[in-house]
Amino acid sequence: MAHDTALVFPGMGPVPFTEVGRFMVANPFARDLVAIADEALGYSLVDAFRTSPGDYSEAAQVAFFVNCLACAHWARDHLGVEPDIVAGPSFGEKAAIAYTGALELPDAVRLTADIARCLEEYFAEEHRDIVTLSFVRAPQDGLDAILADLDEAEEWHEISCRIDDGFFMISLSEHRVVWMQERLRAIGSLPLYTMRPPMHASAFRSLREKAEREVVSRYSFADPKLPVVADQDGRLLHTGEELRTMLLDGFDHPMNWPSVTTALKAAGTRRLCVAGPDSLFGRVPCTTRNFDVVAAPPRLAMTPRRRSRAA
Amino acid sequence: MWDDQFEQILRPFVPFLGPQEELTPDAELKDLGLDSLATVQLLGTLEEAYQVRFRDSALTMDTFRTAGVLWDTVQSMLHTAAS
Repeated sequence: MAHDTALVFPGMGPVPFTEVGRFMVANPFARDLVAIADEALGYSLVDAFRTSPGDYSEAAQVAFFVNCLACAHWARDHLGVEPDIVAGPSFGEKAAIAYTGALELPDAVRLTADIARCLEEYFAEEHRDIVTLSFVRAPQDGLDAILADLDEAEEWHEISCRIDDGFFMISLSEHRVVWMQERLRAIGSLPLYTMRPPMHASAFRSLREKAEREVVSRYSFADPKLPVVADQDGRLLHTGEELRTMLLDGFDHPMNWPSVTTALKAAGTRRLCVAGPDSLFGRVPCTTRNFDVVAAPPRLAMTPRRRSRAA
Repeated sequence: MWDDQFEQILRPFVPFLGPQEELTPDAELKDLGLDSLATVQLLGTLEEAYQVRFRDSALTMDTFRTAGVLWDTVQSMLHTAAS
């Protein structure tokens, strides 16, 4: 069976309240989802998001999750996006799980909030010196030489995300970042930014165990209504148990976006809609050269659209 | 000041700058809509157009802070290539 249209929920980046606050209170899809989230959380998501400091607060994470789902519903009604298959790289896994019905929305909201708290607790105590550095256009042989030097120096490091050809995110000790940036520049690569908390590395096995013990084990995952592509290796997942494993793998396995685009291509996908705030997954060449990309960000949903007039 | 080709290349990457508005050397490109991924695309476009290769100290986000800084960087690479 061909899966003509894919729905992709993006990984999370910083989204200030000023960019999406109006969408959350004015867009009918967002408003309905925010009301469900408020009840599940026991507090006002919009108020908490507005007042919480930091790009990755619990409220910012739940708001990102809710806004992505709202964009998907808006895209269905306004852009005719009826997906046959779903993917959610990195943070987008949670929205993929909710959209496909593997978890009911209130449970998915609580799971998102609980995982956010779990991350905060964990990284307040563990791996406090590790950050994730992103960089582009790194030739493989040059990168291999740099990684070999890190190995030789017995410096822990791990590729946490493969975004496209030459586009990676590496987790490493903060004191190595300046050295790494200089080495990358010497091979013609452009370092972009560092992120904290880091994610997707085998060193975070104990975080996976904590999240499984304290959060994920409390929920039952139903089989998804649509197939979901695992963001670690592009496998097509059809059962709740597989989605649960994907969610847990997200803590200690690297994310591999090209494996997802390859899997979608093989599944017959031609159109790919990215639902939510995205400045990455819908724009990298391995996405744009393979699919007709439809961006459905909150900004577009808030743009007044001309009504079609009867003849 | 830069050549026409530079401005023609740069303008599509700064969507918040109106077509009639002047591109000034000090304007922050980020404020005009140049984000990280667009920076990468702009980098590749400039390299191809001017037949230069950004390396080492030129490969920082600071190089793309303003049109003036970016043009200075391109120009210095052109001079190096010519000498």
